[in-house]
Amino acid sequence: MALRDRLGKEWLFFDGGTGTILQDWGLGAGELPETWNLNHQDEIRKLAKGYFEAGSDIVNANTFGANRLKYPEHLEEIVRNAITLAKEGRHEAKRDEDGYVALDLGPTGKLLEPLGDLPFEKAIELYGEVVRIGASAGADLVLIETMTDAYEIKAAVLGAKENAQLPILVTVTFDEKGKLLTGATPETIVALLEGLGVDALGINCSLGPQQLMPIVKRMTELSSLPIIVNPNAGLPKSVNGKNVYDMHEDEFAQLMGEMAELPVQALGGCCGTTPSYIRKEIAEVRKHPFPKPTKKHHTFVTSFSTAVEIGTKPRIIGERINPTGKKKFKEALKNHDINYILSQGLAQEDAGADILDVNVGLPEIDEVSTLVEVVKELQSVTGLPLQIDTGNVEAIEKAMRIYNGKCMLNSVNGKRETMEAIFPIVKKYGAVVVALLLDEEGIPDNADKRIEIAKKIYATADEYGISHDDIVFDGLAMTVSSDPHSALVTLETIRRIRDELHGHSILGVSNISFGLPQRSILNANFFTMAMQNGLSCAIVNPNTKAMMDSYRAFNALMNYDTNFTDYIEAYANVESAPVPKNTASMSLYEAIKRGMSQNAAKATKLGLETKDGLTLINEELIPALDEVGQGFEKGTLFLPQLLMSAEAAKAAFGVVKESMADVEQDVKGRIILATVKGDIHDIGKNIVKVMLENYGFDVIDLGRDVDPEIIVETAIKENIRLVGLSALMTTTVVNMEETIRQLREKKPDTLICVGGAVMNQDYADEIGADAYCKDAMATVHYANKVFGIEE
Amino acid sequence: MINVRKHEIYRYLGYSKRKQVEPTEEIDALIDECIQDLQKVITPQSVYKRLKLNWLDHETIEVSGMQVTSKSLAKNLAGCQEVFLFGATIGIGVDRLIKRAELTKMAKAAIYQATGAEMVECVCDELNEKLRQEVSQEGLFLKPRFSPGYGGTPLTLQRDFERILKMSSIGITLTDTCLMVPSKSVTAFIGITDKKTKSLSGCAACDQQDCPSRKE
Repeated sequence: MALRDRLGKEWLFFDGGTGTILQDWGLGAGELPETWNLNHQDEIRKLAKGYFEAGSDIVNANTFGANRLKYPEHLEEIVRNAITLAKEGRHEAKRDEDGYVALDLGPTGKLLEPLGDLPFEKAIELYGEVVRIGASAGADLVLIETMTDAYEIKAAVLGAKENAQLPILVTVTFDEKGKLLTGATPETIVALLEGLGVDALGINCSLGPQQLMPIVKRMTELSSLPIIVNPNAGLPKSVNGKNVYDMHEDEFAQLMGEMAELPVQALGGCCGTTPSYIRKEIAEVRKHPFPKPTKKHHTFVTSFSTAVEIGTKPRIIGERINPTGKKKFKEALKNHDINYILSQGLAQEDAGADILDVNVGLPEIDEVSTLVEVVKELQSVTGLPLQIDTGNVEAIEKAMRIYNGKCMLNSVNGKRETMEAIFPIVKKYGAVVVALLLDEEGIPDNADKRIEIAKKIYATADEYGISHDDIVFDGLAMTVSSDPHSALVTLETIRRIRDELHGHSILGVSNISFGLPQRSILNANFFTMAMQNGLSCAIVNPNTKAMMDSYRAFNALMNYDTNFTDYIEAYANVESAPVPKNTASMSLYEAIKRGMSQNAAKATKLGLETKDGLTLINEELIPALDEVGQGFEKGTLFLPQLLMSAEAAKAAFGVVKESMADVEQDVKGRIILATVKGDIHDIGKNIVKVMLENYGFDVIDLGRDVDPEIIVETAIKENIRLVGLSALMTTTVVNMEETIRQLREKKPDTLICVGGAVMNQDYADEIGADAYCKDAMATVHYANKVFGIEE
Repeated sequence: MINVRKHEIYRYLGYSKRKQVEPTEEIDALIDECIQDLQKVITPQSVYKRLKLNWLDHETIEVSGMQVTSKSLAKNLAGCQEVFLFGATIGIGVDRLIKRAELTKMAKAAIYQATGAEMVECVCDELNEKLRQEVSQEGLFLKPRFSPGYGGTPLTLQRDFERILKMSSIGITLTDTCLMVPSKSVTAFIGITDKKTKSLSGCAACDQQDCPSRKE
């Protein structure tokens, strides 16, 4: 009988520990367990046989750590043998008819980009390769287990989905706080895995049965899928430097009996458990009636760590990552200024956004690659879930693929063609979809028709197996000044989505007020009315005070804001915020010296009333920076202060620049900065960048882990005179040397300065750099020298 | 929650008592803020194994298939027949915070960097103390910690640490160039000896005289 026909319909039992048993049988510390598939085949066969005989229905082949990274050679043989040996063990145990051999997949041991250096697609391929071998060797299912990172889980599931038709079961490893190592919660994991369409999910390893119970309980409340629990035999004790799990098998079985009632549908064990544990566990669990999993109704949008539930209270979706009508944002997109885009996201997070809308559509740029890049970068600096906002199907596919979590997608609509193009992608990766209530005939001017379209969209989602919980209807806020009924129609639509469809709704709230003065008054009041009519999500600018006032007031009055926490946090100190002493009329010079950005900006604005920008820069800004810089060099003040002053100067520059928007800006020189190939820590380089920019240089920041070829190409293309390279570790200095070699060969007139933790003058000379710069100020001096600027 | 030593954070940031330069009030407040931020995101973890140490010659040791020829490591482990290998980390949260601060407030990025370094040092000290107690019951003593990279030992030793300790179980991973991610992670040897040693510890035990973080 196929496993899929039994999952969730009857008790299924897993095996127990592997590593702990192999250690007892002589596996050495540091010896890779999978090598036993080559040279200890009898033991590996015996291991599987023992578990099948004990009653396990699903037994892991010995492939947990098998991937191309750990086994550059013999991978195929190791995986094939593992499956074959497990099947032979099953045969010897006479379980051919009702036992299943799992291809067991564990973590790669690498962290994925951007914090680590394993590219997402490479991770998918690492898993995919093992799945292809395992499936052809006759595995009955894929078990992805002991996972500790949401992104790697997604890569593993995609690797399995795209390379075989086998059932996919996933178990993850939580700590006692109920989190994965990289921060995911049960909510995040359930949403991700249900979105990806796995067959069952659960927990393994981590802790003992007792400690796991609250986390398992939480998962059973969230998930509609069968739940798997494979705990350790208690918490580890250290005996002679070895981890020992010593919960008695009777106690283990007893606790697993309790676990079964949570309810879970599949049980086994992990570290420290043996066939004898499993045998007793099975006997105990079978005393309980089998609980079928029940359908749950939750709508979660998640990042790698955070799950935002839609439907429990209104949610704020920040709309500022969008070029429409924003000159600066368009400029940033054209100049590939990703940092500007990211800072727009972070500002909205600080202002109270729950989710960030991401729209980078601009005719002049490649939307597909830009969207992918922005999504990747955003998810390395913010834990907020994202709403991918584009009509470009290719961009949707690529962005949803690399997204770390279950995203929100904006949008589909009632047009058959749109749904047919996008729903298959949603089905594959999982997403909460915004559906606009319009269709081939346009935007209906009445609520009846809009609700009809909503029903049509539900029906089409059914065809694709997409849950209604994953659809959020956009009731369409239309400009009230061009149709005075439009607000009423929108409000009625929102209310009926809630009351008649029991669904979720969303609005781009500020559309309502186009063409009218003081738009924030209309927007904020319409927002309150919409929330009162059941609005689940609002796409707004969270930096607008009036909108957030309405939002916080609504939540406080509706009892959505427990203990008024958010309200008090936002408003308790507004009136009484003390004015810092002596700052009211602080000079620009003083503000920069003390590193106070807001005061620096204020002083600059004031200064511009009597002086022009350049005078202000030359008379106050630069002298202040110089004084701080000299203090840094003399050792009378230190890095944080230098950086605070640099930021204050940056704020002042910003104000001056705005005042001279039409005047051609004076750039002293253009410099490439990069952290070399293999080096992923780049704080030093970023500090140098801040200082160089402060002194008027235009920095092309190529980032970290940069190929020599890219540095050379850019130097040639942009005709660069000075390149700054940073390396942190001795292992990467070779790549610095290689970069210098290639630059010398292909762009000989470029000068190269180097820095970084392992660098010194001797080392710099040895690898042929033109200068060693020991810190940010030294780099500024060298740059001044190169570009002939007097100090 | 880790009880950090603020003077150590000052030191990582370049302040020194000897030069009589102390952080300003504003910077000190910022440091406190950064400590609070980090306390919320850190997930300290460690893993260790006690293993037999084999001497292949007077400068070459072997532990669970890892072979190292190094004068300074041999000196550090002189007289030991057993060794602890350990890995410790404060988790990936600090790396995210640093990345974020690089966009919003660079001074905080520098302070997170320093505070993270101090925090992982505290995790190591705590583990070190636990191991000391473990062996002292047997009348044994510990040598000072010795990390891959010290005394010119190759960073590729991290691969052996990864294999022997299964460090990915606590979230320590390696890049292709053997850098640890999370960045605030430490691996080290700690020799176990039956003689109470007066050997130097910390910076004083290290040969790298020009190290920027060297304590006076």
